Amino acid sequence: MTEELLPGLLIAVPILGATLPLALGLFRKRVGWSVAAVVLAIEAAIASWLAYAIFVDGQRVIHVLGGDNFGRQQTEVGGHDTEGFIVGIELVADHLSGLVVLLVALVSLAVLAYSRREGPRGNAFYSGYLLLTGGLMGVVMTGDLFNLFVFLEIVGLATYALVASGRSAESAVAALKYLVIGTAGASLYLVGVGYIYVVTGTLNMVDVSRVLAGEPAWVADVIGEGSLYGDPLVAAAFGFIAIGLATKAAIYPLHTWQPDAYAESPDAVTIYIAALVSTSAAYAFARITWTMFTPDFFAQSAAGQDVLNVFLALAALSVLVGSVLAAMQSRVKRMFAYSSVAQFGLIVIAVGVAVHPAAAGTRAVEFAVYGVVIHLVAHAIIKGGLFATAGAFRSGSGARLVADYAGLAKRRPFLSGAVAVLGFSIIGVPPTVGFIGKWYIGVSAVEAQLWAVVFVIFASTLLTLLYVARLLEKLYFDYLPEDAPPHAEASAELATDGGRGSETALPYGVASLVAIATIASVVLGFMGAELTAMLEPLVEAVIEGEPEVGA
Amino acid sequence: MTEVVADWRPLAAVLVSALAIALIVASHRRRNVRELWSVLAAVAKFAIVLSMLPGVLDGREYRWSMGMVPGLTDEFVFGVDLALRADQLGMLFAVLASFLWIFTAFYCAGYMRGLSEPNQTRFFAAFAASLSTALGIAFAENLLVMFLFYELLSIVTYPLVAHDETDEARVAGRKYLAYTFFGGGFLVLGGTVIIYWLTGLADPADVEGVEAGESTATVQFGEIAEPLWAVFEAGAAAELLFVVTFGMLALGFGTKAAIMPLHSWLPDAMVAPTPVSGLLHAVAVVKSGAFGVSRVVLDVFEPELTAALDMHVALAALAAFSFLMASFIALRKDNLKRRLAYSTASQLSYIIMGVALLVPAGVAGGLLHIPAHAFMKLTLFFCAGAIHVETHTDDISKMAGIGKRMPLTMSAFAVAAAGMAGIPLIAGFVSKFYMLVGSIQMTGDAAIGEPTAAGFVFASALIISGIMNVAYFWPVVYTAFFESEDAHDAKPLVEFPYGGEKASYGVLGRGGEAHADGGEPVTDGGSTDDSAGQEEREDSHTGEHHDDHEHGDHHEDGHHDHHHHGGAPPGGWVRTSPREESTWLMLLPITVIVTGAVLLGIVPGDLAFLDLVVEIAEAATGGEVAV
Amino acid sequence: MSELSLVAELLTSQYTYVLFAFLLVVGLYMVVASSNLVKKIIGLNLFQTAIFLFFVTTAYVREVDGEAGSAPVIPEEAVAYDPYASPLPHVIVLTAIVVGVALTAVGLALSVRIYAEYGTLDVETLREVRADD
Repeated sequence: MTEELLPGLLIAVPILGATLPLALGLFRKRVGWSVAAVVLAIEAAIASWLAYAIFVDGQRVIHVLGGDNFGRQQTEVGGHDTEGFIVGIELVADHLSGLVVLLVALVSLAVLAYSRREGPRGNAFYSGYLLLTGGLMGVVMTGDLFNLFVFLEIVGLATYALVASGRSAESAVAALKYLVIGTAGASLYLVGVGYIYVVTGTLNMVDVSRVLAGEPAWVADVIGEGSLYGDPLVAAAFGFIAIGLATKAAIYPLHTWQPDAYAESPDAVTIYIAALVSTSAAYAFARITWTMFTPDFFAQSAAGQDVLNVFLALAALSVLVGSVLAAMQSRVKRMFAYSSVAQFGLIVIAVGVAVHPAAAGTRAVEFAVYGVVIHLVAHAIIKGGLFATAGAFRSGSGARLVADYAGLAKRRPFLSGAVAVLGFSIIGVPPTVGFIGKWYIGVSAVEAQLWAVVFVIFASTLLTLLYVARLLEKLYFDYLPEDAPPHAEASAELATDGGRGSETALPYGVASLVAIATIASVVLGFMGAELTAMLEPLVEAVIEGEPEVGA
Repeated sequence: MTEVVADWRPLAAVLVSALAIALIVASHRRRNVRELWSVLAAVAKFAIVLSMLPGVLDGREYRWSMGMVPGLTDEFVFGVDLALRADQLGMLFAVLASFLWIFTAFYCAGYMRGLSEPNQTRFFAAFAASLSTALGIAFAENLLVMFLFYELLSIVTYPLVAHDETDEARVAGRKYLAYTFFGGGFLVLGGTVIIYWLTGLADPADVEGVEAGESTATVQFGEIAEPLWAVFEAGAAAELLFVVTFGMLALGFGTKAAIMPLHSWLPDAMVAPTPVSGLLHAVAVVKSGAFGVSRVVLDVFEPELTAALDMHVALAALAAFSFLMASFIALRKDNLKRRLAYSTASQLSYIIMGVALLVPAGVAGGLLHIPAHAFMKLTLFFCAGAIHVETHTDDISKMAGIGKRMPLTMSAFAVAAAGMAGIPLIAGFVSKFYMLVGSIQMTGDAAIGEPTAAGFVFASALIISGIMNVAYFWPVVYTAFFESEDAHDAKPLVEFPYGGEKASYGVLGRGGEAHADGGEPVTDGGSTDDSAGQEEREDSHTGEHHDDHEHGDHHEDGHHDHHHHGGAPPGGWVRTSPREESTWLMLLPITVIVTGAVLLGIVPGDLAFLDLVVEIAEAATGGEVAV
Repeated sequence: MSELSLVAELLTSQYTYVLFAFLLVVGLYMVVASSNLVKKIIGLNLFQTAIFLFFVTTAYVREVDGEAGSAPVIPEEAVAYDPYASPLPHVIVLTAIVVGVALTAVGLALSVRIYAEYGTLDVETLREVRADD
């Protein structure tokens, strides 16, 4: 019984909690972090309970917003039986969303540990942080298309605010750029949702999927026999929805907001948004493409196939361009940001391969699904860890540029080791988790015989090597500048004693976040079998074109 | 039918040196303790590997899989197990690497201390790690696990290549990473994925051991060939795909084996300290590449399918081209280590060609060359390193008369060089002999016993290469023992530009200036008569045109201390006795390994290598090594 | 001939969709081509308003039994009622308007801050000033 409340709680708790730092801040000064810690701890507990219910008990947890008046009911509209179409909005926690929910909850807590010493202070910041967490939970769990738009915008707004909370003026510019591009993308997504509504008359993902497939009896009476996949509106809708979500996931050429936003925001914010915001957009894209449009749509609609091929090409370009641009950057955070562009290119490739007509009937679908989910989780952990080390290097040794990292391995062996392990993980060296995701994505492309894509996937190893090796070489095989002053920028933590910048010890929060990310990236690499076993219901649903996962 | 026994020893063999890493780093302040850990780990590793040898010779295979760890399953990714298996081919490589590491550990200590190198802890730790991964490659049960350790090997050897931290070392390191990751991460991984897909296309009815409804996809050695053959015969995938995949895997592993045209990382990697060049680039790294190619031909595609695709001729031809070209290039190298590097590239291609011949004798010869070459090349590199430490000499042109100074070292060098050329009684002869017989036996199709043109071409290539081996090793030996510092000839191949010198050969090196204007001596500012000055001028005459005479080579060591230019000290070499010429830490390994090389040549049957090799060859090709 | 009648039909009975597309594109153009930050935000608003127009249009019921659709407000005790426009898109538009307002507010706040820091709202000038930093 109570499991059904959990999805609602997961969203409500952080959003309500977001008011507390501001409210309590009227009475006490520095209450933000503690409030956020308590709220997120509760959140993590709820998320674990939910994950237990999903993965161990095998449930598919649904929460209908609004109580008994809403939900799936037997009604008649215009003389036709609606066959249990939903009235209202439902939150769905199934195998796919359950995993991402757990990821969001744990990462939020971990970044909070990081920001204890490092992060921006101030109650308003923590309010925004909790709001962002609530929004992310909403994006992940909602089963309604328009609700997804609303939560995407909540996430967006919170992110713009957090990005702008950096001290420099550059943060404001980066936030505004992100705002303009992100809003344009989300609005295009809304156009796509509008088209879908015009065609199907409903906004719930499961119901839309059914109507598009032509399953309910009333479709034949009202609209016409057979599936609606051939309708040009549907293909146009897919195009708009995909573009909108691709903007949020920073696929080339819609990625231009990402390097600025990541580089200019405070370090704790960068870790959080790099790990989760684009991840949630990619998750939404996967969910909609796989369970709402289903591989059947792409098999039957020529226009849909064209759009899909364009997206595969753009994603492949993302991989190439992102890696090459990353190798050209001189600032470390920008380098990692472009690296994210490349990694999301890989993920979008795999999302596309799973529904591609060439993959139908082969094991490509299965492997693509595994690849997307595992690589999403892997990227979140790895990129979060990398940004955490970048932040630690900046605050501890004043290193912002790649050149500043020269020889720092001698002074910061732990951090450098973490950069090495995480770097190899993102290149895809086994036995790390980054390899597992890449392996499945590669196998899926080969099984689907999309050779151009195969080439890009394997070339990405070499391209990623370009910038990771550059950083590692600087760290380990370059000389410490014995008398070079730290990078000159007015910032209170940097030492300006003109010589060997003061090497502050790593705060526990930072060290623990980095350690957890590094260890997780290796340990999860050995747990490939467990991860794929968890995702089997999702694979079945995608292969069969079922909108309900694990039902 | 081989018996497969579940055992923790393969994992133990791999991990014992990984454990040593922690101990080495922990004892970084006490040198002797730190070196002791290296030696202990090496001995322990060899002991573990040796303990499995009798069983493997009897036909047993020892297998460790991740499922043996409580709480984990075998599966690494879908359909692929994370498992290590000690089989015959793997034992060949493992015994070799672990045995040689023991003595390399001693040698490293002597070398590093002799040059007071910095970063010694990092060096020894990376060395231990690389031996760990080398054994992982040896014992890998399937292509994916082999890829795993292959990539890790590239990563842990990188700090060794870039050890000196000079610009040259960094460039060499980058090149090394680029080549090995291209070969590994791109070619090998791509090939593995395609194999996984191709084997999955087979009909379960055609593959034994797979029930209907199960997937036939596999990347496990020994199990790939059957479904692959079924798919090939059924025509379910284009033949081009098979050829491309074979090419990808062979070239991917061949990159590490320095096959041409992917060899150029190897000479540049000679900037690393000599023990690195020795063990890794003559034994572990390049041998893992050759080992990988052997696995591909013998256990992935297996001789039947390889012959059906005609890839054996292509591979053997590429290998033959490679070893001939490398030998030609080696003739012109003045820097001893570079000469040895090209020699390695050449000899590695022998192994690849031997295996590609697909007849029992050829395969046996190629595989036997793995240990044979290892012993000989390691001796050569150790000698080169000892020379560098004791006299700071790197170039052959400056080694005239060095036999006086380092008699034991140069004698060992001479013996090993003779073995490389194929002189009987030393290891290289046995393997070359088998390979020659094999190439004569080789045919265009799989029937044994009918010589064809291709076989004759390969046999002649082997003989020519043997002659060239003499051609590039003999000058070194000759100049060390039979020339003296003030009366040695120039070496035409090394020192003269292409097309020869205009001046008369007899004028140089006899105390006169080289000019052709009929006798007016040209005073070029203080011409002295001492031998050192003469050598300088000779070098400056002949030094412009050749890339290996450039400053890169002279500053090859990249040392931060005193600037030295090698060569004999002003008074000529000092005659020393074998016991005083160098430290025992370096001389002992040299002696032991050259003795091993000789033993392999005299009684190959008593050392396990020949038995292993014959069994592997006969099992893989289904014929008899009848010599 | 049929193309002309298609266009004619579009312009007479489905002009709202044409208007929607036109406003969308104009708004997008303003976002891209304006050099003033505030104008960009206005363009964004126009872009979003076009989408609202689209939703509202789809809600409209043209004719049922001779009656065109009216506002979907039905008193509880009503026994019979006229055909009404679909309320769901109206709800969507209301929500989206709120979202748009929030975005505009944040955008303008950021513009104010940028103006305070850099002294300009012009994108080109901003680029030069930032490049100097």
